[in-house]
Amino acid sequence: MSGYWPWWAGAAGLALITINYALTTDRSFGVSSAWDRVLHWRRERRLERMDEEFTDERALADALAAATAEHFASSPAAPTAPAAPQGMSQRLETDAEPTASENLSVTSPRPAPLVTQAALLVSIFFGGLIAAVTSGRFDLRFDMGPGFQDVVTANPTIMTVLLFVGGVLVGFGTRLAGGCSSGHGLNGCGRLRPVSLVATAVFFGTAVAVSFLLWKVI
Amino acid sequence: MRTRGAMLLANVITGLTLGYTVSNIGFGDYTELNRMFTFQDLRMLLSFAGAVVIIVCAFALLRVRRTPGRIHAGVIPGAVLFGTGWAISGGCPAIPIVQVASGYLPALVTIVGVIVGIRLCRWANARYFHLDRGSCGL
Repeated sequence: MSGYWPWWAGAAGLALITINYALTTDRSFGVSSAWDRVLHWRRERRLERMDEEFTDERALADALAAATAEHFASSPAAPTAPAAPQGMSQRLETDAEPTASENLSVTSPRPAPLVTQAALLVSIFFGGLIAAVTSGRFDLRFDMGPGFQDVVTANPTIMTVLLFVGGVLVGFGTRLAGGCSSGHGLNGCGRLRPVSLVATAVFFGTAVAVSFLLWKVI
Repeated sequence: MRTRGAMLLANVITGLTLGYTVSNIGFGDYTELNRMFTFQDLRMLLSFAGAVVIIVCAFALLRVRRTPGRIHAGVIPGAVLFGTGWAISGGCPAIPIVQVASGYLPALVTIVGVIVGIRLCRWANARYFHLDRGSCGL
């Protein structure tokens, strides 16, 4: 008796989290990309500052364009369609609501602020802690449990080496593939992105093969 | 929801619920994980697959915006490395955090490994691969 949720409750929970995030933020979340951005925070902060400056300039350009349009529209001799300053015409022409196909286009919003990515990682810890404590599963221990001891190793030194190597493979692999089980697996597959479908099939298939090797052979 | 505060709130709620849900499904338990990957117990596999099916249907109904993504040269090798690491250590990037929160202190070593791997990948990509890897999370 594991005391874990039945499959349908787990499916509903994971789906609700992913759908809620997509609807409230118009973005997808990925834990490996959150890790990546937090670990390279200096560079990310620099990029964020550059992005903020760009947004300010664009806001200034928008205000200038609006003022120009208003001035010419109120003038009796104003042309019916005043020429917008270079670089602003696109904004003036795209006030119409996007079509359904444009809504489904491949345009991207700005990345989520760096601090929110750090908050995501910290919150995962507290969410896991609440679950462990409230379910009575919290158990401070210096091994990875009976399953790891049976299937992989009971030797603490080998365990440490394998966990480190496994972690390096996870970190390197997820960033090389552009995502992990949350980014590719839930958000990407949910959007039927070909890259996510391929990545998920490959990482799941590999994990199955390696797990069988550990279980039956090694 | 576009302001920084609103994004922060959304990420805190997502992190808390993700950690809570993943822990209660059993992804942090190596025994359960190995039983899923070796098809001895389909419960967690059905949880994941069921979630994907629900998300696909919901996103299609709600016409949720697609995000860019193309299959580049790093996808398959990266996924192979990730799958291998996941089966060995029992952790995808979120799971070691949940394992530590559940009391499995050696998972701190996995987290250190993940950090080294992520930094190594960015360094190797800048120096050797030069891949535009994209990112599934924004």
